Amino acid sequence: MSKAIEIENFSYHYPDGTAALSDITLTVEKGQRVALIGPNGAGKSTLLLAMAGFIKGNGKVRIDGLEINRKNLKRIRTSIACCLENPDDQLFMPRLFDDVAFGPLNMGLETEQIKSRVSNALQTVGLAEMADKASHHLSAGQKRAAAIATVLSMTPSIITLDEPDGSLDPRNRNNLTKLLAGLSQTLIIATCNMNFAAALADRAILIDDGCVVADDIAAKIMMDSELMTAHGLEVPNKIR
Amino acid sequence: MHHAHIDKFSFMDSPVHRLDSRVKLLVALVFTAMVISLPGTSPGILACYAIGPFTILVLGKIPLRFAFKQVLLVSPFVLVLALSCPLYDKTPVMAAFGPWLGRITVGWMRCFTIIAKFIVTMLALMALVSTTRFSDLLAALQRLGVPKVLIVQLGFLYRYIFVLIDSAHHILRARESRRLRNLGFKAELKIAASMLGSLFIRSIDTAYRINLAMQGRGFDGKWRSLSKLQIRSCDVFFALTAVSFMLALQFFIKPVLQ
Repeated sequence: MSKAIEIENFSYHYPDGTAALSDITLTVEKGQRVALIGPNGAGKSTLLLAMAGFIKGNGKVRIDGLEINRKNLKRIRTSIACCLENPDDQLFMPRLFDDVAFGPLNMGLETEQIKSRVSNALQTVGLAEMADKASHHLSAGQKRAAAIATVLSMTPSIITLDEPDGSLDPRNRNNLTKLLAGLSQTLIIATCNMNFAAALADRAILIDDGCVVADDIAAKIMMDSELMTAHGLEVPNKIR
Repeated sequence: MHHAHIDKFSFMDSPVHRLDSRVKLLVALVFTAMVISLPGTSPGILACYAIGPFTILVLGKIPLRFAFKQVLLVSPFVLVLALSCPLYDKTPVMAAFGPWLGRITVGWMRCFTIIAKFIVTMLALMALVSTTRFSDLLAALQRLGVPKVLIVQLGFLYRYIFVLIDSAHHILRARESRRLRNLGFKAELKIAASMLGSLFIRSIDTAYRINLAMQGRGFDGKWRSLSKLQIRSCDVFFALTAVSFMLALQFFIKPVLQ
């Protein structure tokens, strides 16, 4: 397996000097589904931002073998796509079609290619009929699926998702689990919901206080009740 | 949270909905300009002008009750202006409205004209936004040469005004749930200022995250769009009919004041 993400000794401090990430070193293989677990404020979202090149710290981050720097950033952004925690932040255009087309347009694709990508992405998330709808007319579950469609249309090889199950009811959460399970991309899912993580991930990385505490097979980490409790988490009801 | 969207009927389908947004926008602009430029003493011709937006609303299957409700919602601003006119000009005049003839003051005449102009132009605006999707209106503005920065701003405003309203409602609800007694005007003002500050900071945070989402999808400062606007024969027919209607009305203007 080749490497999708490589992070070497990465540290990041907030502008006020607080350490957000300390000496993070990890590698994610292509096609892996990784759950980034940890309590609130552990540094999961910050690590996702670092992976997408939104924040600069000390250390190296490589995406598909390319080191994140100003020169490579445009190419990297076509490899790694991020879904933010709040879908309202992701859906900023007047209608869904334009939101899903936003990425392909910026990639400089031809009109027909863009239309085909938008149609495929919306089909994948089950919103093909909603293309002309305004984003604020969608339900919470539809917004989440739409946010995923906005990155799918860019056909990235890696997708990072920040708390994708947040504020979803069980039915919508199950739909989302099925949708994500059907994707072939490398997935990095930051979540506090262990049942959701257990249903999707092959591997889990436990982060607390900005450091990697454990990195192993998802089932192995999540079944360690002592470890989970020590870091403010819980053992899931069912392991995949 | 559900909002009463002003454009909730724009997603319907009718011959008017299918017209090119540029044509509808231009017709609405010309119509508004012509109504505004009418003399301040011609309510009769204004009544004739009202036929235009009514026809569009009926053909577009937009409930007239909805259109009038929206007009009523913004009417207080104009009513204040209109109702002040009779106080300033009390010159008596004889006015004719069709077969009816009566004595009235110029101030009242101006008052009626302002209200009539407001209703007719607002109905024209409602006819436009109820039969044209906002995204198509933005595309029309872009194709008509409005600067892209302004269009992006309008797009964001339309998208996030509801999110902002939701945030404001949440803050107000949180405040209300803990408001057990009246703290007095000064303290309430201080709290209101804090709430506004909180809303402002939330807006900045939201703007930061939207910027991340845009950059993550390759945004480099250049706004690109897929515009599918196309002028067809029905658009030309609509534009010609609208212009003929307005020219005919202009031609038949007869001052009401005698």
